Amino acid sequence: MALPQLRVPPNYAGAASATLGVALLMLPGLAWAALGLELVALAFWLWARSLPDRAEQLARWGWLRRPPMALWLAAALFLALPELKLVFAPVPAGPAAGPIAAPTFIPAPLPMTRDPMLLLRTLASLAVLWAGLELMAALPLSRPFPDLTGPARPVGPWLTAILPVTGFLVLWRQAAVWTAAPLVKEIAALALMLAVVLAALRAFSRRSLTATLRWLVVYDSAMASLLVARDVVRGEIAALLWLGAAGGRLIALAAELRGQHVRRGAKLTRYWRFAGWVAGASLAWPLLADAGFSGHEFHVVEYFVLAAPVLLTNALWLNRVVEAPERRAMARREDRAPRMSRLGATATLLAGPASLAWAWRQGLHVSPIAGAAALLPQLLAWWPVRRLIPAPDPSGVVRENVAGGPRDFALSTFRAVTVIERQLAAAIAGVARALGAPARDLHSGDAQEYLLFLVGVAVLALLLPLLR
Amino acid sequence: MRVFVLPPWMLWWMAFLPPLAGLGAATLIRRAHARTGELQPWIEAIVVGLTLVPLAVVVAWPALLLPARAALAAGLSVALLAHDPRDLPQTEVALKIMWVLSAAFALSWAGDALLAMASGSARAREQWPALALALDPYALWTAALSLSMMAGLVLLGGAPFHFWPGDLFHGARAHVAPFVAATLQLAGAAWLLRHLDGISAFNDAAMLVRSLLTLAAATALAGGAATLGYQTRPERRVGALVSLQGGLVLASLAAAPSREPFADHGGLALWAGHLLLASTGATLLSRFLPAAAGAEERASVLFRRHPWTGVAGGYALLSLAGAPGTPGMYLWLDVARTLADHRRPGLLFGVTLAWLAAFGVAAFEIRRAFGAPDGTPAPGRAVPRSLRAAMWMACGSLLVLLYVWQGRRAG
Repeated sequence: MALPQLRVPPNYAGAASATLGVALLMLPGLAWAALGLELVALAFWLWARSLPDRAEQLARWGWLRRPPMALWLAAALFLALPELKLVFAPVPAGPAAGPIAAPTFIPAPLPMTRDPMLLLRTLASLAVLWAGLELMAALPLSRPFPDLTGPARPVGPWLTAILPVTGFLVLWRQAAVWTAAPLVKEIAALALMLAVVLAALRAFSRRSLTATLRWLVVYDSAMASLLVARDVVRGEIAALLWLGAAGGRLIALAAELRGQHVRRGAKLTRYWRFAGWVAGASLAWPLLADAGFSGHEFHVVEYFVLAAPVLLTNALWLNRVVEAPERRAMARREDRAPRMSRLGATATLLAGPASLAWAWRQGLHVSPIAGAAALLPQLLAWWPVRRLIPAPDPSGVVRENVAGGPRDFALSTFRAVTVIERQLAAAIAGVARALGAPARDLHSGDAQEYLLFLVGVAVLALLLPLLR
Repeated sequence: MRVFVLPPWMLWWMAFLPPLAGLGAATLIRRAHARTGELQPWIEAIVVGLTLVPLAVVVAWPALLLPARAALAAGLSVALLAHDPRDLPQTEVALKIMWVLSAAFALSWAGDALLAMASGSARAREQWPALALALDPYALWTAALSLSMMAGLVLLGGAPFHFWPGDLFHGARAHVAPFVAATLQLAGAAWLLRHLDGISAFNDAAMLVRSLLTLAAATALAGGAATLGYQTRPERRVGALVSLQGGLVLASLAAAPSREPFADHGGLALWAGHLLLASTGATLLSRFLPAAAGAEERASVLFRRHPWTGVAGGYALLSLAGAPGTPGMYLWLDVARTLADHRRPGLLFGVTLAWLAAFGVAAFEIRRAFGAPDGTPAPGRAVPRSLRAAMWMACGSLLVLLYVWQGRRAG
């Protein structure tokens, strides 16, 4: 008797897998995070293999197994060697000087020392950082993925945007693992700053609003991760700030794919424009203030490197979110009374300021000069810079394509960086292949050669003790 | 949370579960591969299963394996491979293994004889204090010691001797290959352990052995990891994963030469038992995998007709690779722990590299096995029930092993 087989459509199986995966990323344990990323990768595989162009899709999303592997590695290291958790824990240098004075702590040692535990702990930190950065398009191998549509047809353009979300969740929830290691934070800050700049440039250079929004989610996630890396605010507050900014873009992206719900009507469009700007400004403000004015000094490079993309992305959001033309004879009920869209805009509007108020209560201090300087690029985005950016047509697509214009410059810069990165990666892979090729050719499968191997190893075994 | 921990007497009996399950699986596989002329396929299968009993006893009770018996076990394995002249690939494997093992044993016995001459005793435990008196030339005892370890290195199957596990799983039949691999590797581990018994009494010899084993382990792990990526046939990938298990034993011995590897997880008996079960499931699975298909091509027959049985086989393959959530993971963690305790970060890095390669390749292989649905109906002809039962038996026994090791760790 043949039993009826339960067949779950791949779309549903993938959605369930991805949802469970993202939920697991919220848990604190490294193994849960690894399992979560594995499920997200599984979801993309399930979706990709069910499409007609499966060969291309499977090759395109194959890299998604690398981040979970990195997390499994970190989880395995902590499981095998539980004492690694204590390696970079602050050690009290002695008793506190008085009842009010805080005790002093010995700074964490650098991983260059000969203690293997330091190296292993650093390796675990780097593995977690790798996973988070790769998912945020902040590493060369995965840099261009936000340009691509995801492998599930109805929600494909939106789907790619969940990858930076998972990247941020990894870096936020596992912050204790990677921020404790010396040098890892600095590496993270550098990679994230580059990612912020490139994401802003790419968002600017893309014509369609959906692609721009995907890159803006990458930008928001990288900015929020910088907040975590630099320890500007507590992780929960950084997550709330990120939720306001990236959440708003994700809602806008989903709405764009379902009848442009955020751009129906002049009032609603203006409301969304303002809400998104407030959320983005709230996310960037503490970071700019800290990067530019930490230690009562003005750090010119850090400030301008971050201020430029902040200005660009804010201006981009204000410029690109324009009222959609009404071409339908009969508007949907949701368009007549866009309650859900308004609710989303209100949540986006309130999340940022509420998080900043919470941070204020938690002790966030920003000097008036730093605060004003950090607000400057966001205000400039309203005017006059916004006027310099080519305006989109009502469908949300930018038609301008003047050679040598700002879009052209952004596109060329992004492409130049990615080409250099790819060539570097290809060169390293080529060297590895060249080194491995002789080993590959060494074994022909001939039984005679087995004996030669044995004789060779025996001679080596005889010589090695004499050479010691 | 209260964790159920098995009593010690039950843990002792656990050593018998994998060989028994392995014997059951081998009988089922042999039944499925019955030749057309066989009148009583079940009886034939049981008889073939009975011929594997000596190897099963060795796997359950590695304490039996004195050096001479290790050589006998290796000889018996070769005889089992060579017994059917009609099976040409298997006979070729037997010849190749015999060819290399004869030379390896000859070299090792020469080393043993030299050590006995230098120290005046044939017992390893008595040799080291005698050598520590420094009455013999350095070149003599170091050459003798290095040579005496050769058979152990070859039997463990780590690179550069990883060709024999690859050949074995490619050429030998699915019910014989896992038993032969487990027996030979166990013989290798026992050979080295017996030869290094009491070596801490002579510090110079202990240091030399550590250096040699470190080199051998590093080569086995790096070579095994590199080979995994180059293998084109799924059966040979299983062989490469089995060779990495030999690398794990070498790494463990390099850290602590006189300590039984995997002592926290039932010692060599359960290690070999796990190897037997995991390689049984993995080699069965590998025979259903396409040799050259891409990830976008449709799934193999097993995965289209019986996907859950494919999952059971995939679990065994993952366990062989030490993937998280499998009993194999505990063996890799055990070695990592041993290396960290003895401060061997270089080898620990090698283990990490090999584990990443093994897990990555196993996961890729399983994805390839599931392929991509192309809308065609599942094939009408089913995979023989006894083959599927063998895969489930291997998977179920691995889950019991996982439960036992998890309870032990929690306890």
